[in-house]
Amino acid sequence: MSRALPRSVYILSAIVGLLAFIYPLISKQILSFNPLERGTVESPLNSTMLTMMLLLICLTVLLLELHGQAVNAKVVATLGILVAIASVLRLLETAIPGPGGFSPIFVPIILAGFVFGPRFGFLMGSLSLVTSALVTGGVGPWLPYQMIAAGWIGLTAGLLPKLENKRLQMIMLVVFAFAWGILFGLILNLYFWPFLDGASQTEESFQETLYRYGAFYLTSSLAWDLVRALGNSILILAIGLPVIQALDRFRHRLQFDLAK
Amino acid sequence: MINPRAWLLWVAITAAVIMVASNPLYALSLLIVVQMVKMAQRKADNAYDLPLLRIALVILILGAVYNALFVHSGDTVLFIMPDLPLIGGPITLEALLDGMANGMLLVALLALFLSFNAIVPVSDLLRMTPMAFRDVGVVILVAFTYLPETRRHLSRIREAQAIRGHEMHGFRDWRPVVVPLLVGGLERSMQIAESMVARGYGSVADRASSPAEQVLLILCLLMALVGWVFALWTGWPGWLILLVSVAGVLVLIWRRGKYAKRTNLKPNRWTPVDGIVIVVTLIALVIIIGMNTVDSSSLTWNPYPIVLIPDFDSRIGFAILLLAVPAIVGKKREAERDN
Repeated sequence: MSRALPRSVYILSAIVGLLAFIYPLISKQILSFNPLERGTVESPLNSTMLTMMLLLICLTVLLLELHGQAVNAKVVATLGILVAIASVLRLLETAIPGPGGFSPIFVPIILAGFVFGPRFGFLMGSLSLVTSALVTGGVGPWLPYQMIAAGWIGLTAGLLPKLENKRLQMIMLVVFAFAWGILFGLILNLYFWPFLDGASQTEESFQETLYRYGAFYLTSSLAWDLVRALGNSILILAIGLPVIQALDRFRHRLQFDLAK
Repeated sequence: MINPRAWLLWVAITAAVIMVASNPLYALSLLIVVQMVKMAQRKADNAYDLPLLRIALVILILGAVYNALFVHSGDTVLFIMPDLPLIGGPITLEALLDGMANGMLLVALLALFLSFNAIVPVSDLLRMTPMAFRDVGVVILVAFTYLPETRRHLSRIREAQAIRGHEMHGFRDWRPVVVPLLVGGLERSMQIAESMVARGYGSVADRASSPAEQVLLILCLLMALVGWVFALWTGWPGWLILLVSVAGVLVLIWRRGKYAKRTNLKPNRWTPVDGIVIVVTLIALVIIIGMNTVDSSSLTWNPYPIVLIPDFDSRIGFAILLLAVPAIVGKKREAERDN
């Protein structure tokens, strides 16, 4: 029972967040499902604002719940330092050679989430994004979307199984990093797509909407995301093992607590 | 110096106006107003500035091409696309311009938030974090404080490795740099944690959320979901449920923050200038809302079936001009003295 409540907060918030993200794809289905047969919200702006509000509530609830967990001074300090390292790596994308459009911010999020678990991973992901947004002047309505998506990267990395076979584990992490590299772009382009999408018709099947979004994604950011996904997976391959070892060794010191 | 809370209100109202007044002429005027405010008020130490012009061009071109390929209405046919699924058909000037107008909206929104970032200092933004999120705030603060230190640490490591003949060529060369950076950082975090504990951090007994709070969190999420769906279906009853959920979240934030206090060396006080900014932006909002309720088509632009030059109502133009008030009344922010 004691674990069922926080778990249902996480699961429910994942469902709500996912709905908010993919709303532009399923808006026709939701609106046509209306059993009340009254005037519906027609303007995409209105529904975008509504959906943004839903996402904000979801993020706040998640942070409120996670917040109760991150009270330990060691966790707070470690998170802070790891977030700083992640942000420095992001700023250094020009200083250290890598392919264009490549930002290594996902690597620390994935590795920290993998070692320290889903809660730490979520906080690591979302707070890294906030910090680098504050540094680079990127605070805006897109930030909650980025925070949730990057948080999910860390959270899902924490849910991955720890494998005995180190080689297999590396392959798993590399594939994971690649998949999220693409998925991150795929879901983050969704929220501003309705602004550019003049073609939406009320009578449209899900496949047609998906097809139009696919075309939009192909023209707008697939190339960029591919470079990012590849870069992050190669970087995990290159530095993953020693970083996991270092973090793992540190984890024992982090969990040492007299009061428990 | 304008109070950061007044800035927040200005940004929220200007964003709402940009989203409602989608006529490209209004979007363009809003863009100019936003840039004016930015030029007048940007902070002295603003290091990062995204290349707005380049991003704007990409958004405009993307919007135009994408819309032209998928929307085939409009009378001025430029050429006919061969018969491909969905994109085949006549490519019209109207669709092209409509896409560009949609892009213009996004550009104006982007410019608004870039100027907000260029104006309000990070310390003021962090100070506005509700007390319920104080630990999250501390994490960001630690990260922020140690950013320059981490950067120095990194360049020291790179120098030391360079002396050993290490060069940055490929991904593998990241390892001798990242691992020492990480280990050094983790050691550092232990020291920070110890000094935090020594100063009494985390000494307040059990702050993990109680079952009652968790139930309330779940209820808020469920209500938000129901309210969202109903708002999409029926309008205001859904908004009401959504607002109840927001109120629930606010109560929780208030409850969590109740026992914590934050002290400020230099509190941001309200000044008459803030009052002027708030009142004038609110007047602009009232004018726009008024125009929208009288005739909602006056704010938008419809290029179909044949493109015409968009109307420009001088009353809406006046309201947009009012939004430039922070550029005129606010004193420019001096370089930060408190750090």
